[in-house]
Amino acid sequence: MKRALAAAAMVAVAVPMLVAVSALPRPGAPDGPVHTQVAARYLAAGAAETGAPNLVTGVLLGYRSFDTFGEVMIIFTALAAVMAALPATGADGAADRQPAGGGLPAIRVSPLVAFVVRFTSPFIAAFALWVILKGHLFPGGGFQGGAILGALGILLTIVLDRRRVWPLPAVARSRLLQAGGPLAFAVVALAGLWLTGYVLGYPADPALHAVRSLMMLLLEVGIGFGGGAIILALFLRLRGD
Amino acid sequence: MSQLFDLVMLGLLVAMAVAVARSRDLVAAAVIFSGYSLVLCLLWLHRGAPDVAMTEAAVGAGVTTVLVLVAIGRTTRREK
Repeated sequence: MKRALAAAAMVAVAVPMLVAVSALPRPGAPDGPVHTQVAARYLAAGAAETGAPNLVTGVLLGYRSFDTFGEVMIIFTALAAVMAALPATGADGAADRQPAGGGLPAIRVSPLVAFVVRFTSPFIAAFALWVILKGHLFPGGGFQGGAILGALGILLTIVLDRRRVWPLPAVARSRLLQAGGPLAFAVVALAGLWLTGYVLGYPADPALHAVRSLMMLLLEVGIGFGGGAIILALFLRLRGD
Repeated sequence: MSQLFDLVMLGLLVAMAVAVARSRDLVAAAVIFSGYSLVLCLLWLHRGAPDVAMTEAAVGAGVTTVLVLVAIGRTTRREK
């Protein structure tokens, strides 16, 4: 009885879904509504409407800013979940040289690797900043720059010894920085509400284009630095610091 | 030529995915998966999506691999 009910429920869900999928336009068909309606509008008017010549950024922070807000909240929630699941071991645990599990051997970092990381780190940091700040003009943006910053932070915490690396964990543990993405979105959403009457709205008035650019820059900076801090904090918490 | 590049990359992706699924050594699987992300990054770049390629390289090949390795370090290295 139970199995028959389950089978009936499965069929009741699966058949409408399959029918709906079969009614979708063929993927990649050039005359599909995806290419003739939305994408055509983005390509034709995107740069002017969002002020971002890089249309990917225009879509992420302009047309689809609610989705981007959701993504930022996902990353933030991931950190919250890890912090809730893995309690911190001690205030500033000395677990650096002895990994908790028996899986990975405690290896010494090769001096060659350490030198290359230290030598390239300023360039990586400069590149990350450029990616964050110039995301509206070139490929990249807050997410990419933040990931590069976070990866750089991880590299440095692995390679440098404890006395030199202490500012990094302190920065990554800053609650304000970890919440940078959601906070930036809150500020920009309220600013949009005040200026245009819409949450996350950008002023279309040409006189306010500087304000619009500033709002987008604030989002990029919040996503970038917040994301970088979250990535490093995730690593530190997983490692057991 | 351009199509050939895509096909070679896609073939590599499938081979690496199978290798990850078959590997009993989780560290090896994590490293192969990092290579998978790099190949995918090249593919994104070649298909004209530099934004996605950057994310793939930084998150897929870099951060995810490190997080997985740290997680393996806190559990066990061999799959039962």
